Amino acid sequence: MKKLHIFIYTLTLLLIAGCERKVDITFSYEGNKLVVNSLIQADSSIYVRVTKSVPVNVYDESAFRELDNVAVKIQDDSGNNIPVSCQQIFGKNYFVSSQKATTGKRYTISASAAGLSPVSGTDTLPAPPQIFGAAAQRTFSRITFGLKDYPMAENYYRIRLFKSDSNGTIQSGLLFRLDPAFNNNVVDIISASPANSLIMNDKRFDGRELTFVLQAQDPLTPTSYLMVEVTTLTYDAYQYLKSVAAQQQNVGDIVSEPVRVYSNILDGYGIVAGINVKRLVFKVD
Amino acid sequence: MSLAGKLLTCLLFICMPLQVLGWDWQTKVSVSVKDQPIRAVVELLEKNYGIRFSYSRDLVNLSRKITLTVHQQRLKTLLEDLFGPDRIRYTRVGDLIVLQPPSQATRTISGYVQDGITGEKLPGATIWSPSLQQGTVTNQFGFFSFTTTADTSAVIISYIGYQPKWQQLSSQNKFLSVSLESTTNLEEVVVSAAESHKLQNQTQMSKVNINSADVRSQPKLLGEADLLRTLQAIPGVSGGMDGISGIHVRGGSPDQNLILLDGSPIFNFSHFFGVFSLLNADLVKSTDLYKGAFPARFGGRLSSVIDITLKDGDMKQFHGDVSIGLIAAKFDLEGPIIKDKTSFIVSARRSYPDLLYNTVVSLKDGNNNSSLLAYFYDVNLKVNHIFSPKDRIFFSYYKGEDKLSVQESEDKSAVVDTTRLNTEFNRFQMGWGNVVTALRWNHIYGPKLFSNLTANYSQYAFNTEVGYKYALPGSNEMGDQYGRYYSRMETGGLKLDFDYRPEPTHSMRFGAAVNTHYFRPSVSTFVDKGSNVTPLDTAANGPKNTAVELLLYAEDDWQLLPSLYANIGLHASAFMVSGRLYHSLQPRMGLRYMLPNNWAVKAAYTHMNQYIHLLSNNGTALPTDIWVPSTDKVGPMTSRQVALGIGKTSNKQAWEFSLEGYYKTMHNMIEYTEPTGLLTADVLRWDRNVSIGKGWSYGGELMITRKKGKLTGWLGYTLAWSTRQFPDINNGHIFPYKYDHRHDIELLLNYAITKNWEFSAAWRFTSGSPLTLPVASYEGVETGSPWDPSPNGNTPVDKYSSRYNYRMENSHRLDVGLTWFKQKKTWSRSWNFSVFNVYNQQNPFYYFVKRDDVEKQRYLAKLVILPLLPSITYSVKF
Repeated sequence: MKKLHIFIYTLTLLLIAGCERKVDITFSYEGNKLVVNSLIQADSSIYVRVTKSVPVNVYDESAFRELDNVAVKIQDDSGNNIPVSCQQIFGKNYFVSSQKATTGKRYTISASAAGLSPVSGTDTLPAPPQIFGAAAQRTFSRITFGLKDYPMAENYYRIRLFKSDSNGTIQSGLLFRLDPAFNNNVVDIISASPANSLIMNDKRFDGRELTFVLQAQDPLTPTSYLMVEVTTLTYDAYQYLKSVAAQQQNVGDIVSEPVRVYSNILDGYGIVAGINVKRLVFKVD
Repeated sequence: MSLAGKLLTCLLFICMPLQVLGWDWQTKVSVSVKDQPIRAVVELLEKNYGIRFSYSRDLVNLSRKITLTVHQQRLKTLLEDLFGPDRIRYTRVGDLIVLQPPSQATRTISGYVQDGITGEKLPGATIWSPSLQQGTVTNQFGFFSFTTTADTSAVIISYIGYQPKWQQLSSQNKFLSVSLESTTNLEEVVVSAAESHKLQNQTQMSKVNINSADVRSQPKLLGEADLLRTLQAIPGVSGGMDGISGIHVRGGSPDQNLILLDGSPIFNFSHFFGVFSLLNADLVKSTDLYKGAFPARFGGRLSSVIDITLKDGDMKQFHGDVSIGLIAAKFDLEGPIIKDKTSFIVSARRSYPDLLYNTVVSLKDGNNNSSLLAYFYDVNLKVNHIFSPKDRIFFSYYKGEDKLSVQESEDKSAVVDTTRLNTEFNRFQMGWGNVVTALRWNHIYGPKLFSNLTANYSQYAFNTEVGYKYALPGSNEMGDQYGRYYSRMETGGLKLDFDYRPEPTHSMRFGAAVNTHYFRPSVSTFVDKGSNVTPLDTAANGPKNTAVELLLYAEDDWQLLPSLYANIGLHASAFMVSGRLYHSLQPRMGLRYMLPNNWAVKAAYTHMNQYIHLLSNNGTALPTDIWVPSTDKVGPMTSRQVALGIGKTSNKQAWEFSLEGYYKTMHNMIEYTEPTGLLTADVLRWDRNVSIGKGWSYGGELMITRKKGKLTGWLGYTLAWSTRQFPDINNGHIFPYKYDHRHDIELLLNYAITKNWEFSAAWRFTSGSPLTLPVASYEGVETGSPWDPSPNGNTPVDKYSSRYNYRMENSHRLDVGLTWFKQKKTWSRSWNFSVFNVYNQQNPFYYFVKRDDVEKQRYLAKLVILPLLPSITYSVKF
């Protein structure tokens, strides 16, 4: 999208010599609020991260620090409380459930901390994606895989592409886009630059079995392994991930209105939403 | 009236200044007579109060004897009692009261008013009977019809910028062709107006007329005089970001403006993203802006009507104009095809910085494999032919477009890397523009009835094309792709309008129209010549719709009482689309009441309907925005507006003063609940992604205009509020909308220094518009587990709460211009030097939260455009 915006304003700015100035303003701040983030993966422990919001002008991301004396509760739709423990992973504190999340159940995550309003969020888990037949040829840039969409329901997907080893250990993410030749959407061609994820709904292919063709930004190297990751998303997860991506794209965009990121947390910020990931690892032939 | 009486009346009218002296209609008088002729009372009034009377003793009989005693009675009341029984008519002319015999019969004169040199018909010219204090104005085609008393001996015909003409009427005069001589020159901008041009003599309120001189005399931006910027300097009208990008009238959206080019609607009025009007200003004869109190003949939009009349072409001799500025060059040529029968005018304009850019790049690089075309152009053609004094046809054609084309081809001299994609050819093209064409036929059925039949067609299209050829030599992978995205809106129709002037107290218009609208928004196609694979269809083309609109209207400008006037009208319309029928009855009413000292108080009520919506999801109107018809979920927009104001033109017509207040409600307004991007992807279901709400605009507008003398111009001030309410936005609360500017001040001056030099200046102040800024930041999440790959990390998220929770800074700017003009025998030339934003005020164009990784700060940044911009323009007229 930005590509088109740039085209639109290039001439204007070239001729009229626009410039940027810092504005001395005090951002208003809604006050400290609890932030709960958890994308609940089926057949996996539930990881919950609880942090605190900061004013807009705070630059340092480490400001999103964990709070002391936070209480986190996970409850399923039968009213059972699932035990959680606080663990430090990669230097960050996570509340991890002792049980794995199960497809078909609804989970509610609540958090509270001294001096802040208690918060909660709830969601279900989606069915796993039905994907198959991933393949790619060396020196080509195209990757194909099949997807069978669940009929009679609104489904949401996220697609990501990684370089990996034969065991599926990820080495790095790859930039890609839907190959325009297999996409038929000129809007995407004009506007979509390669990205590390593609988030979509099934409105254009509801219930169909189809072949996706991705175009990697760079040609694929021989003897390497790739991994296609397809994640089914609940409506809340789809809205959240889509709006986060849109907000990131929108930064500094001079013609668009700001994008609001979706949240289903009551009295706080963040997201509690279900996802279901499936990965296909394959060798570049 | 005898010849002596006529001469006396004329002489007195011409010689006496029209100014307020020692008495008015409210002056209290005391008179006592017993069994005396009326003449005795008249003489007492002259003697005791200095109230002078003018009448012919042969025609006005004042011999009836009366007995009368009044004490401290209003002069007007006394005269009504005195002259009423004998139906003697009395009128104030200057400091005289002119007495006339009872009216016996009426007569109707009609005709055209035109420029004496070019034959150009003059819309809005005044035909005024000073003795009756009644008159009329010419319509859009310069035609007038004036029914007056049979003994009316003369009328004054006048038009802004022309010498008023005293036209004697003989008993044979029924059809007049009146030629006026232009008085506009650089030594003194003479703007004359007759009585009915005075604000207090017009029932119409919330209307501003802009003549071509107003536009041309403004300081220029990059060498271009511009109608759009002049319109934005009217109180109640504002522009978008930093004064560009569209027109907002009384808190309305840009799509709520009905812009008519010689009667045909235009969907996008600007070039260059709103910086310039789509039209060469030299072609515009006159522009009427209606901000409210809409006459019944207009409909289809909520907030304003901008009625632009273009020149018809010189019927007598050839003229031309060539000019070159910093950004564009243009020419126009007009002249007779058959003298006094058929004329034409043709013009063309093109911006040219891209030509300079390509030349410079070509010279610099020698072997240039890329090209850039970025320009706008417009062409106009108008032909008119007089078949007979009663029949005339006009054909007009306009095409204007903005184009951007970037093309790159492979540099064969370079060493190709066989392991990577190699682009052989890459083309991107984008363009948008209007096509407007119309055929009109004027016919005069008789002195009281005039008609205009119009067949017109208008199209707006946005088009984007991409072509991409690439190869991956290492694997023989090749692609040859072509894609196109376009949106198109078309309107074609027939309209029949009648002007009927049955008597002096009534001026009627009525008519009917049928229009067909064709909507084809957001169409996307793609082919890959090198592939036989069926593509995954992720494109959602927009809905293809055809709609039919019917309308009927009637309005009457009616003098109800000597001091009370009304304009009463009704606009009825029906809109059929996709099997649905929408209809509306839209009453329109204007009232004017004359107060002492020639002040007029005016009031108006209007109801408007708009059946089409503009889908716009951006901070400003863009060419990518698309038009769609109402649906079963989103009905037509409606508005109701009341306005109240006072107005007066000074007796010497040097000053005009108007003060108006208005209150407008709007229903079925739409707003995207969440941004969807520049190109709306899901146009098929657009009505599910918008919230439907209400809007309110209210405020006051003051305009003081200096119309005569070496120094002319106006001062405008607007105090306004514009709010909206949507159930899904801001928790359903009312919030200030993006067009909510609390204060706007505009000061425009034009000073004729000498015969050859003219100076102009424009200063504008606008208080800050609402702005949406985040209120917190927090950590995001990308994966279900911290062990999963997360290329973006847990990216920070900005939290936005209410829309428009801040305000931008105030903006202000001074522009100046200096024109040197030299008139030769058969041609003239001029240089214009303009400076835009003289004191280089850094007005905000857009705000955003910037993450500065060098300074390790997050702060609010503003983008500033339009700094101090000098420009120069050279013009030659022949």
